[in-house]
Amino acid sequence: MMKILIADDSRAMRMIVTRTLRQAGFGGLDLIEAENGRDALEKAKAESPDLILSDWNMPEMTGIDLLKNLRANGIGIPFCFVTSEGSQEMRDQASAAGAMGLIAKPFTAEAFSDALSSVV
Amino acid sequence: MTTMDELEDARQDLEGLLVDVLYSVLGEEAYPGDDPLPSGPIAFSRLAAHDELEDSYLGIQVRVGAVLARLLASRMMSVGDPSPDDLIDTVGELGNIIGGNVKTLLFQTARLSLPVAELTGGSEAVEGALRVAASVFGQVAELTLQPDDEDSDRR
Repeated sequence: MMKILIADDSRAMRMIVTRTLRQAGFGGLDLIEAENGRDALEKAKAESPDLILSDWNMPEMTGIDLLKNLRANGIGIPFCFVTSEGSQEMRDQASAAGAMGLIAKPFTAEAFSDALSSVV
Repeated sequence: MTTMDELEDARQDLEGLLVDVLYSVLGEEAYPGDDPLPSGPIAFSRLAAHDELEDSYLGIQVRVGAVLARLLASRMMSVGDPSPDDLIDTVGELGNIIGGNVKTLLFQTARLSLPVAELTGGSEAVEGALRVAASVFGQVAELTLQPDDEDSDRR
């Protein structure tokens, strides 16, 4: 079973991401939640998920710092941002840090399917 | 051009943004308008965009009445009876989504703060701000953008 770590400081958004994964046709998933970047870093190390879906703007540790920390520790888990800031500058920054993509909020199930079908 | 002028020029885009986000999170058509917020309890989310190059700030605030806050929480969290914490979480995330899109639309080089969301007793007007509003389920959602100095030139 594929394990996905969802990192967002909003419980509402974590629930929406979970629901949207199902709507995108991705079933049979083992979903783990983290409420900030630091929590996500600990859970990524402990749980070794197959994919991380992360907000950018979070307390304790931002999503981009989470990604950089993972990569600096040699952890290459596929990583996709799910964030309200979708400018080209943010996309370039995400890509340079090793993210596979950036899904901008508000999103659709189709956006999830397009962005994640290569890994889920 | 002042920031307020720029915001005024972007009014239609901002109305469209508010309508699109409400539709996305509620699955219900929203309509731009200028109705006031209802009297009574209000849920709001506030965050700031900081342009480091110009050392200027834009306050971004989203406010909804208690009825719409409950509808948002109920739909977004799939719960029948959302708690006050659910309302705060939901309106905070609504502000986060709208703030991120405002930044992408108007202030791409700015940095966004984390949203602060609260429930409060009333809905006093936000002075010195551009206001756009939309109605969904007969309830009003309001977005205000407040420059730190509306007379200063920007960009």
